[in-house]
Amino acid sequence: MKKKVLKPLFKKLNAEPQFSEESNTQDIELKKQDISSNYDQNLATFKSIFSIPKNIDIKVREFIIGSLDRRAFIIFISTMVDAQSIQEGIMEKLIGNDQPSGKIQNITSSPSERTATNIGEITEFITGGVTALFVDGDTQCYLFETTKITGRSIEKSDNEVIVKGAKEAFNEKVIDNIALIRKKIRNENLIVEAKVISKRSRNDVFLVYEKDLVNDELLQTIKDKIASIQTDRILDLSILEQYLEERPRSLFPSILYTERPDRATSFIEEGHIVLLMTNSPSCLVLPATFWSMFHSPEDHYLRTPYGNFIRFLRFQALFVAMFASPLYIAITNYHVGMIPPDLLMAIAGTRERVPFPSTVEILMMEIAFELIREAGLRVPTPIGPTIGIVGALILGQAAVQANIISPIVIIVIALSGLSSFIISDVSMNFAIRITRFLFIFVAAFMGIYGAIALFVPGLFYLVSLKSFGIPYFAPMTPHFISSKDLIIRHVPMKERFRPGYLNPKDTVKQRKG
Amino acid sequence: MKKKEAVCRLLLFFVIVCLLTGCWDRQEIEDKAYVIGLGLDRSKDEGKIKVTMLLANPEVGSMQGGGGSTEKPREIVSFDANDFIAAKATGNSVISRDISYELLKIIVVSEEYAKDKEFIRKFYDILKDKDIRLDCHLAISKEKASEYFINNQPKMETRPHKYFQFMINHGIENGFIPDSTLFRFFKTLERGTDFFLAMYTTAAMEKNPQIKSEDEYMAGQLDATGELDATQFIGSAVFRNGMMIDKLTGQETRNINILDDSTNIHDILVDIPDPFSDDQLQFAARVMKTESNKVEMDLKGQRPKIFITIPLKIEIISNPSMVNYTEKKNQQIVKKQIAAHIKTLNEKLLKKTQTKFKGVPYPLSMYARKYFGTIQEYKKFNWGKSYQKADIHVKVDVEIVDYGKRIKKPRTVGA
Amino acid sequence: MKQQPGKIGIREYLSIAILMVGSKVTEDTPTALFQKAQNAAWMIPIITAAFTFIPLFLLIKTMSLYQNKNLFSVIQKLLGKYLGFFVCLLIFIINVFSISFDSRTYTTIIRTFYFNRTPIVIIYAILMGVCAYGAKKGIQHIGSVAYLIIYYAVLLLYLAFVLCTQDSSIQSLFPIWGPGKLELLKQSSLNLSLFSEFFLFALIIPSIASYKDFRKGTWIALVYISIQLSVGIIIFICLFDASLKGIGYPFHTAIRFISIGTFFPNIEILFFVIWLMAALIRFTAFLYINALMFGQLFKIKNFEFLIPALATIYLLIGSIPESPYDLSLQLKPILRSVIGPTFLVVSITLWLVALLKGEFKHEKKRGSM
Repeated sequence: MKKKVLKPLFKKLNAEPQFSEESNTQDIELKKQDISSNYDQNLATFKSIFSIPKNIDIKVREFIIGSLDRRAFIIFISTMVDAQSIQEGIMEKLIGNDQPSGKIQNITSSPSERTATNIGEITEFITGGVTALFVDGDTQCYLFETTKITGRSIEKSDNEVIVKGAKEAFNEKVIDNIALIRKKIRNENLIVEAKVISKRSRNDVFLVYEKDLVNDELLQTIKDKIASIQTDRILDLSILEQYLEERPRSLFPSILYTERPDRATSFIEEGHIVLLMTNSPSCLVLPATFWSMFHSPEDHYLRTPYGNFIRFLRFQALFVAMFASPLYIAITNYHVGMIPPDLLMAIAGTRERVPFPSTVEILMMEIAFELIREAGLRVPTPIGPTIGIVGALILGQAAVQANIISPIVIIVIALSGLSSFIISDVSMNFAIRITRFLFIFVAAFMGIYGAIALFVPGLFYLVSLKSFGIPYFAPMTPHFISSKDLIIRHVPMKERFRPGYLNPKDTVKQRKG
Repeated sequence: MKKKEAVCRLLLFFVIVCLLTGCWDRQEIEDKAYVIGLGLDRSKDEGKIKVTMLLANPEVGSMQGGGGSTEKPREIVSFDANDFIAAKATGNSVISRDISYELLKIIVVSEEYAKDKEFIRKFYDILKDKDIRLDCHLAISKEKASEYFINNQPKMETRPHKYFQFMINHGIENGFIPDSTLFRFFKTLERGTDFFLAMYTTAAMEKNPQIKSEDEYMAGQLDATGELDATQFIGSAVFRNGMMIDKLTGQETRNINILDDSTNIHDILVDIPDPFSDDQLQFAARVMKTESNKVEMDLKGQRPKIFITIPLKIEIISNPSMVNYTEKKNQQIVKKQIAAHIKTLNEKLLKKTQTKFKGVPYPLSMYARKYFGTIQEYKKFNWGKSYQKADIHVKVDVEIVDYGKRIKKPRTVGA
Repeated sequence: MKQQPGKIGIREYLSIAILMVGSKVTEDTPTALFQKAQNAAWMIPIITAAFTFIPLFLLIKTMSLYQNKNLFSVIQKLLGKYLGFFVCLLIFIINVFSISFDSRTYTTIIRTFYFNRTPIVIIYAILMGVCAYGAKKGIQHIGSVAYLIIYYAVLLLYLAFVLCTQDSSIQSLFPIWGPGKLELLKQSSLNLSLFSEFFLFALIIPSIASYKDFRKGTWIALVYISIQLSVGIIIFICLFDASLKGIGYPFHTAIRFISIGTFFPNIEILFFVIWLMAALIRFTAFLYINALMFGQLFKIKNFEFLIPALATIYLLIGSIPESPYDLSLQLKPILRSVIGPTFLVVSITLWLVALLKGEFKHEKKRGSM
């Protein structure tokens, strides 16, 4: 009985808002039809669909094909096509063609050619930068790939900087991105599949994977997930990332977002799947574990001892970034006996004149540091260094002199702030910074006991995170066969297996002997 | 799912309420007054003790550029209390901050109180306070502890904890004072078969100090003059079952430290009578003990026999008789002399412990344990009684490492 | 190499076992052993392990007949519905008290040494809350987290032991036989409860990837834990000598005392951290196993939702004794003397019944067919 009353009540409260909308059915009906063979009708249809001549960059070029002596027109978006190739490959050949017969395919010399009949489909292609050719009397429309998108050239990576190794980064042109991947893996089994997601902007996603390595079930899961997205537009890969994640509200990322092609190719080679999109200077790697986000390619490019040194440094940085401030609060407030007496006297001496309790001090400084950090990212380059110096001066020296904070807090905050920069993955960086705040609160509440009481459930939470069915800490636990490259990185000769949790078709990277 | 949300919200409120009340143990670091030294005296009142606290001022000497602080580096408070845990509360009526024993480094008990039977009963309370760590040192002062702290004014160490830290560590390394931490005190007490040695110190000099041999001083007897602080740390006090019975000089303490394997003395500089001189000259030698002693016991029969072998490495530093040590003969003489000298000293000392103290001031009984199969047999043996009858032989294994630099006699002018 | 979902491998199983039983060296067990056996107390874990070998072996043999069932199902099958139910209920109640008293001990340790003024309910509540959250996640996640921290836990434990040797004297171990060989044997047989958790592990057999893993893991764990307990007790005896009788929690007293050189005089926080993590894992695993028992007894499938309720019950029971002395001097010895013989009797009975019922012959027939 209760359910019968409650359910409709909830439905009323959570009802979808209704808007008064104009109906689009006429356009939708139109797009479902095929083109006609009548020249004029086609011309009119497409002029109305594209709102020519209101839309100034959509061009229609009418002409007569010389040899066949038929009227034809091409329609294209001038800002998205390569005018040169249209002229050479299509126009010249068609207009200047002398042979009386022949199919359009044999006349035009454009490298790619396709036919289509559905108006909706043709419209989609035209918006993608394809040139459409309509011949009078032909029920098919010829489509030529002439897309030339302008954008940045391939530049150095800004966010993931390494010293040794390739410095190229992805840019906004997906053609360039695919080229960057292809030139590293020259294998015919490297497949680049395209899928159109989103209904209005028709953004396309490219799945890149190696057919004979990747697990088919995993691939199918990802394809299903992409296909199930019902939205009007997904403008950027980062937004797609949020659609695809299983737990979008979690603090920790479960998909790797990187802008380096060498990282992407190394993951493809292990059996992961990479997603690319136009207008996104980056790629998504799925599935991702904690280790994929934590390791950096530099560990592998450097020689083994140096790579391991950097890796230990990064581990230390992880702990320092997360625990330096909470430890400071816990020890100075609850476990004072732990500090060596000289240091204790020094801290107590300098803290005597500070008006705030140490928790408030740390919180203030942490927030100030985050502010500086965000400001520093967006500061215009000419005055960048000046702001840095001013920030350091104001927040450091002057605050100590004014007895607002004690000098040791500055050291603690600077250490933890700088260490957080060592983690190069953007999402992980934020995750660590936010958990640091959580730890500060808990440490202020219960000291070390509180910090551990948050750490262990945190570990439980992390262990239960799954990225497309793969546990977050695999292959360390649960145990899978892998190249054992977790905390210590071995010599490349010893990294023999691909990660077992991906179930690749070929697990052995290197045979013995 | 509405129910789940409601429960979650309730839990959240509960947690927030806890956070509002919470942080019970939280104390700001500058909110505390740190007691570096604690003094215990017998009070005129029956059943009470007089507690003296030496507090450190964190501001002094802490800022690099000098805080420009004109405050004193320490504060000393004395008052009567029932025990020193309740003293924390009473002390707060005089001292502004919350008294904390976390940095306690030294507990000074006056000699007269240490000889009191009541001392050990009050002292057991030390274990109850979780702040006091067991590696805090115990010292006995000749005069009252309250006077000791007031008279102790180190000239070069403004921060009191540093002063005690240095004095105690170096004294232990030199062997002049025993390593008397609370840990060892209670361990020896529970063991019940040996005596405990506590450091002996004083801040008041003796009226007419005699000049004795290098190490035969006790605290206060060394005639050190000049612009210095009068506190001295030499010698030790012997404790039986928690009560002080006697004192040992610096030299005797050092011998015990050599005999005792559980101390960590570094190299010691000693004076040994020169065998080559006629008029009582002594040469300086550095003694290094790198291996443990070997103790063998023959415990059957009426008188148990104990054989102690001490391996020592000697480095001869000074050479007042200008002897040429390249000759084998001289080397042998010196070796024999050192061995004999140390052996006599030790046997004399051990005899004294057998007769005067009736117990051994270091854990010699531990060596006896391995000769018994079960605890009952060991108890039957009764180390305490048997030790007094024992026949102790000390042998010193001397290995001379270096003979010193100068071997040739200097030329005399005009010769 | 696909991992079955919800199952744990031998690594995780070993980690859980070591953390659960091995952390006994860090609470008041060494003192309890020292009371009677004095300086030969270090032999007791080894001798007890030898005593436990036989019932454990029999139990494993019995369990190998029913490879995918856990202990309670086997008991109910072999002993019949009513007797089996009664035995299972008995085991469950013993465990309830065991958890309550153990968690109360740990809370007391935290309160005495680290947080003097905090009300004990808060510490207890946080402990139980964290463990309930972890237990709810299931045995696989418990195993993973245990595996993540096991290496560091063991390493730091041994570091603590090594640092203790600075101030210890090996002669404290003599006289070697302590109160006498006979007394030692008597004490060992009375302290079978040291390894009682091994019988509880039979409850999670279905979650372990393969039966062979379980068997291998159990033997390795038994050997390793007995060595760890013995080494720990040796270190404490050498460090504290006769005063171990009066020290309630030797591990914590020791870590307050040891130091690395003169510059880091007090490093107890380092060991506190690792001890606390091991303790949390221990109680998480306990809570999970107990809830599993409860679910088996009363035929509840999704027993994970019971865990918070059960945790609250343990908290209430654990708060009953007013002072820690009641606990360690009166209640715990009673519990200890009950647990040991119970499991001994149960495992031997199971084996006998299985033998009598001819299950082994059936197994052979099945195997040969």
